[in-house]
Amino acid sequence: MPRSLRVLITYLLLILLALFMMGPFLWLLSVSLMPGRNVFANPPAILPTFIAFDNYVQVWNFMNFPRYILNTVIITLLGVVFNIILSCLTAYPLAAFRFKGRSLVFTLLISTMIIPSATAMIVHYLTIQAFQLGNTFFGVVLPAAVSVFNIFLMRQTFLGIPADIRDSGKMDGASELRIFIQLVMPLVKPGIAVIGLLEVMAFWNNFLWPIVVLDDPEKYPLAAALTYLNGQFSYNFGWIAAGTMISVLPIILVFLFTQKYYMEGIAGAIKG
Amino acid sequence: MYKGFRSESFTAWAFMAPGLLFLAVFTFWPIIYGIPLSLTDYSVITETKYVGLDNFTRAFQDHNFLISLWNSLVYVLIVPVIQIISILMAILVNSRIPGVKMFRAAYYIPVVTSMVAVALIWSWLLGNNGVVNYLLLKAGIISEQVSWLSTSSTALYVLMFITMWKGLGYYMMLYLAGLQGIPADLYEAARVDGAGPLRLIVHVTLPLLRPHILFCTLISVMGAIRVFDEVYILTKGGPGTSTLTSSVYIFQKGLEQFNFGYASALGLIVSLMVGALSVLVFRLNRKGGVNSY
Repeated sequence: MPRSLRVLITYLLLILLALFMMGPFLWLLSVSLMPGRNVFANPPAILPTFIAFDNYVQVWNFMNFPRYILNTVIITLLGVVFNIILSCLTAYPLAAFRFKGRSLVFTLLISTMIIPSATAMIVHYLTIQAFQLGNTFFGVVLPAAVSVFNIFLMRQTFLGIPADIRDSGKMDGASELRIFIQLVMPLVKPGIAVIGLLEVMAFWNNFLWPIVVLDDPEKYPLAAALTYLNGQFSYNFGWIAAGTMISVLPIILVFLFTQKYYMEGIAGAIKG
Repeated sequence: MYKGFRSESFTAWAFMAPGLLFLAVFTFWPIIYGIPLSLTDYSVITETKYVGLDNFTRAFQDHNFLISLWNSLVYVLIVPVIQIISILMAILVNSRIPGVKMFRAAYYIPVVTSMVAVALIWSWLLGNNGVVNYLLLKAGIISEQVSWLSTSSTALYVLMFITMWKGLGYYMMLYLAGLQGIPADLYEAARVDGAGPLRLIVHVTLPLLRPHILFCTLISVMGAIRVFDEVYILTKGGPGTSTLTSSVYIFQKGLEQFNFGYASALGLIVSLMVGALSVLVFRLNRKGGVNSY
């Protein structure tokens, strides 16, 4: 097969696949830009015949979006900060130190992956109630404040740091904590960026646990508020479509601007 | 020397203490506490009693629970399908042609968007008068409208399809990383020996992707059995019990009906099943050899 034909077929397959993966989102965008149209009209509205932003304006005025966005941002920031600090602190010794119990910690961490999230959620619910953190953002964030996956990822990153760095710090009389903060941490910025991004996405998209913990819908993050909107206005398609676009656009933009680090990070997660 | 080792050990635990504390409370505790809880009839309504293994005997006579286990096992059927398609996708986006990175990003977007949004879009697309029915009718593939999500015989498969659609990009990236780790001269050598594209895939690519296949299979088996969000948002287990998966059933028993004791017992049974399946996957791939996982 000549090279040019092969390239042509490759592009054809790439475009078909892109339609399959992106089509639903493009259609949602299209629905959100068609005021007053029914997604179940016959034939269904697929492409907009005219474009208007009425749905966006109306749903923005109807739902307290600034409130939900603020809630989401607070929850996401808290979650990201907790995850970065805790997983770096936990992963560093697993990569750089030699101590008794290292493999025990490792085995324990791996074994946690088999428990169904629904079961964990039940005990988390009881724990959060016992700590009197029900209906608070901390109650939303703390159960996911550190994840085994992030610890593995950061351990991988710390393994790439030469041991000389720690030795030279010791020679100069720096404490372990100072070596960690001033010498080691600046070198793992790419790793931190990756777990940061992963957690931004996880917390931004989280909907179920916030609903379980928060009694007050005013405290809901965007994804949770969206299920609420969908329940209330199941026939106002344009509004729901616009609301959904508002909730997914930030995360898609974050991804598009950071995809280089993100994809390298995901890939790095299973190397070694 | 020995003293140095000891103080290093102390520092290591000091560093890990905050993280391990959180893991202890929110990761290990649910596993440990689930066991005594499963031996009681703990619920918010009545006084808690120790009931021994009653929850477990009840579980295996609970028709709905057995159906949910079966549905979860059926869900695992998507694992090989995901692996095959995402490996093919990875090979496709590993081509060195202009603009290919744009396609990689496009395929990844379903992964980063929330399941709430994805579920909503698909529920519309799959509606009676939705786009999917319209296109399939036009193409002559179906002869009348199908209520994909409210027909018992199709609902579970449709959910599996949505799970697959959302996850493909993730596995594609993992396989792509694997592909990029394969030295180019291996392909060159095979080509010199006269191997065609298909033989290159079968004899060079797949064997070298083995650790990645093991890892991806493992996480997607666990993911399939733990599947929750899409089922809960789209069908809540219905129509009837046709999409009732074990996670949804545990959630219903625990956080909707507040039967914490019984739900914990069900969770324990499912955990053991996932554990057994993981061991099975490892055995099947004994030569796989993934280091830190």
